[in-house]
Amino acid sequence: MKKVSNMSELFERLNDLKVVFFYGQKFIPIIQSIIDFMSETVPLLEDINSSISDSTIKIPKAKDQINNVTNATELATTEILDTVDSISAEIGKVENDLKTIQAKEEERNIIWNQIKESLSKDSNSIDLINKYENLDSVTSIIPRLLQVFDKTKNDVNNIALSLQVQDITSQQLASVNHLIESVRQRLSSLVMHLDETEIKDIESLQAIIPDTAAFNPEAIYTKSKEKQETADILVNNRLKKASQDEIDKLFS
Amino acid sequence: MDIKFLVVDDSVTMRRIVINSLRSLGYSDFVEACDGKDALDKLGMDDGINFVITDWNMPVLSGLELVKSIRGDEKHSKLAILMVTTRGVKEDIIEALQAKVNNYVVKPFTPQILKEKIEQILTAV
Repeated sequence: MKKVSNMSELFERLNDLKVVFFYGQKFIPIIQSIIDFMSETVPLLEDINSSISDSTIKIPKAKDQINNVTNATELATTEILDTVDSISAEIGKVENDLKTIQAKEEERNIIWNQIKESLSKDSNSIDLINKYENLDSVTSIIPRLLQVFDKTKNDVNNIALSLQVQDITSQQLASVNHLIESVRQRLSSLVMHLDETEIKDIESLQAIIPDTAAFNPEAIYTKSKEKQETADILVNNRLKKASQDEIDKLFS
Repeated sequence: MDIKFLVVDDSVTMRRIVINSLRSLGYSDFVEACDGKDALDKLGMDDGINFVITDWNMPVLSGLELVKSIRGDEKHSKLAILMVTTRGVKEDIIEALQAKVNNYVVKPFTPQILKEKIEQILTAV
């Protein structure tokens, strides 16, 4: 009896196997197409992987170049500010000299008038005095020179003020650097998922960004007064509110 | 009243521009700091400082944190503080005012704006 039972079990198993082969035959083309797809896709993924690795390794160079631009503009700005300071100082000295000349000329005029008064009865002297007075005096151009120097000083100050653009653009560049670093980190993690091996030099790449970098990504160089006006309104509102609170306190 | 300014900015360029502007307005006493922490150190060392002009975005300790530290310290809580920053968004300005800055200047500024705000603060003080 046991033999009969074993045989029937064998037939059951054979039947199961038949079913497996039956479905296997159906699945074979699907499996084949998956194998074909994989064999086509894997080299493509490897290409993508190596391309991402290459790009990721190149990113620090881009960041270095941006840092170099920031440093160069800061250096140039400092040089311009040095020159501006030097020009302002020289203008200041000349202005002071001219003012001293102007003051001395006023004293000289007082004495000159006394001389004219004492020589007023001598006709020969009067002729000489008239001739002398008709000559162009250097002092007459001093007020005009002072005006020119004043304007030049203002222009030089405006040059210095325009250099605020350096601070603002350096914040914009720092912001770009931050974005580049974020992209690099994403790409690195993507590569690590695609390929278990880490990107070469990854530690040296990470060392470049200082943790303490501080910048405003919204920094913008504009002559528009809109933001300052907003600040003024908010500050004034607060001041008014404070005064109102004080008034309320007084009457409570 | 003799005013001694503490000019706080991580940008050397900006510190020079602010100080030059203050000079053109007739002020002559300045101390410089490159970030909020440096500013607190300078405040600790110099009792003569009575006016702080600070940037917002700085490494180590930001301008906003500096303002909060100053206001939280009994010894310096009455100091005049002017924030000079590129941050011009309404929410930022409100945050700075809540931290109790006396006035607010958005970069790029002109000496006229700086003069106006300093005078407003000095009049109120």
